[in-house]
Amino acid sequence: MSSGHSHHEEAGHHDAGHHHHGPKTLPLSLDAPEIVKAWGTRSLIVCAIFGLVSLAFVAVPGGQAHLLRAYLLGFMISFSFAGGGLALLMLQYVSGGKWGLLLRRPLEAMTRTLPIVTLLFLPIAIGMKSLYQWARFDTQALRDAAVKSGDMTREQAMTAALKHAMFSPTSWLIQAIIIFIILNLLMFILNRWSVERDADPLAGTQASYDRWRIKFENLSGPGIFVYVVLLTMAALDWVMSLDVTWYSSIWGLKFLVGQGYIVLALGILSVILLSKYEPMKTLLRTTEQHDLGKFAFAFVMLNIYLTFAEFLIIWSGNVPDEIPWYLARIHGGWWTICSLDFICHWLIPFCMLLSRNLKREKKRLAGIAIFMIFARFVDMFWLIEPNFKDAAGNLHLANNFGILAYLTVPVSVVALWSFFYCRALLQRPLVNVNDPHLEEILEPEHAH
Amino acid sequence: MPPREGIYCLMAEFNTPTELVQATEAAYRAGYRRMECYTPYPVEEAAEALNFHSTRVPLLTLLGGLMGFTTSFLMETWINVWAYPLNIAGRPLWSWPAFIIPAYEWTILFAGLSAAFGMIALNGLPQTYHPVFNAPNFRNGATTDKFFLCLEAVDPKFSLTESRSFLEQFPAVSVVEVDH
Repeated sequence: MSSGHSHHEEAGHHDAGHHHHGPKTLPLSLDAPEIVKAWGTRSLIVCAIFGLVSLAFVAVPGGQAHLLRAYLLGFMISFSFAGGGLALLMLQYVSGGKWGLLLRRPLEAMTRTLPIVTLLFLPIAIGMKSLYQWARFDTQALRDAAVKSGDMTREQAMTAALKHAMFSPTSWLIQAIIIFIILNLLMFILNRWSVERDADPLAGTQASYDRWRIKFENLSGPGIFVYVVLLTMAALDWVMSLDVTWYSSIWGLKFLVGQGYIVLALGILSVILLSKYEPMKTLLRTTEQHDLGKFAFAFVMLNIYLTFAEFLIIWSGNVPDEIPWYLARIHGGWWTICSLDFICHWLIPFCMLLSRNLKREKKRLAGIAIFMIFARFVDMFWLIEPNFKDAAGNLHLANNFGILAYLTVPVSVVALWSFFYCRALLQRPLVNVNDPHLEEILEPEHAH
Repeated sequence: MPPREGIYCLMAEFNTPTELVQATEAAYRAGYRRMECYTPYPVEEAAEALNFHSTRVPLLTLLGGLMGFTTSFLMETWINVWAYPLNIAGRPLWSWPAFIIPAYEWTILFAGLSAAFGMIALNGLPQTYHPVFNAPNFRNGATTDKFFLCLEAVDPKFSLTESRSFLEQFPAVSVVEVDH
């Protein structure tokens, strides 16, 4: 205690009579508002409309091939939400923090779509041979014939033979099965524990907090490691192997960061849209919203950092093995998409999220979140389409209207995914009550 | 400048940030504008209660960043194209991808320095004398565990008697006059 000043403190005075400064009370019902049902129905309608329009591409020249490629894009975005949701869910268990409690139930809802995402993978597994060159020419005899007929370059044939252990239909399917089994298992355990945590008879005591915190940490720590390995495998198998000759060691990490980017955008969008209604209205404070905005900003930065580092290293090396990958994505009209990707994926979100006021304003932050989700579609298009011979270094619409399938199919697939996301949101209360952070987010913002 | 004399402010001392913020909000509602909060650690809500929203630090930071980027990028262009042209693996002299990393570093450096020095300058620092230190309780508590609200005498609404009774309605530990 410092000395030299007068003490005429009125004991016990400072908490009385100021209701608007006291802690907020938790609403009686913590369930997701009814409106989520309507969001789900709306998603289903969007899915149906875009799905029907997509059917038209069956008749269009080049349409059938593009339908499957566009489907792969939609699948990769849906997988980003479900898998990335799982990664961020585990991350918030190990890092702690109030933002984690706020996003936990939306993230859990994203992960609970994993069984659906597993089913969504089936068309890709079935259409494997039309998507992946290495799957089409799986044996040495087929590859030799393909080189003779000009369907494969000599380099592609030799690399495909070299990478056969990983990129052959059987091995590829086994890898996909392993990925989905482990991810679904992690999802199942984490979601089950989360419900058990709330039902704990000791709920609200320090013993219960500690027990669950340690339990979740012990699974999530190794879980994140396992996830990164599996995601690297998935990114190599499903996207990178479209061009069997190319490789980049940062590929898996780039997808991981891309998932963080899109999952945070969807998380922010979800809590802001839900905050018009109880219980999120009470739970979402400007402080945590601001934190989430800053977090998203970090991912925007990390994403361009990795993407540019990858480019700069390959550009400096200037090796014929790697450079064509970029040439196919810059030449022949692709520079438009490349620039659009740079502007949408980094420049606009970066400039907007710099602003403190924007991050604290619900409407504008939600707008940026939607834009970030859109930017992921542009990026994925730039990554996927130039892998194919007819599109590499040659972005064209004439006689190639099938390419427009990229505008409809992914929207339909992601809308279908979002129907299941809304359904999962409705299954549980929107907040985990047996968590010490709950008390903190109910406090007024200036209490320290 | 001749030394200023007379009263600088009335200073109320609080034990908690909540009390400080409540008193500040009330003072703002009562029409006081020339006032200041002093806290041992940042209390964002006190800044909000003072209706003190934006400073020019972000703008200075942005300008500093842009200046750093431009300086570095132009410097590299000048060196590589005119001052000391080198053929590196047959690339064009103006190989801009290679300039991005240093330009980025300069952006961070200039933005950081502008933020730090801009903040110091906008705060009016360095300042060798401030009247609030004339109050003994301020000297002892302002950096440890006390929260202060000063109603400055230059405020048109300031009156020694009324402002004092205004501050005394709050659970303040003390309300003292501070001289220049």
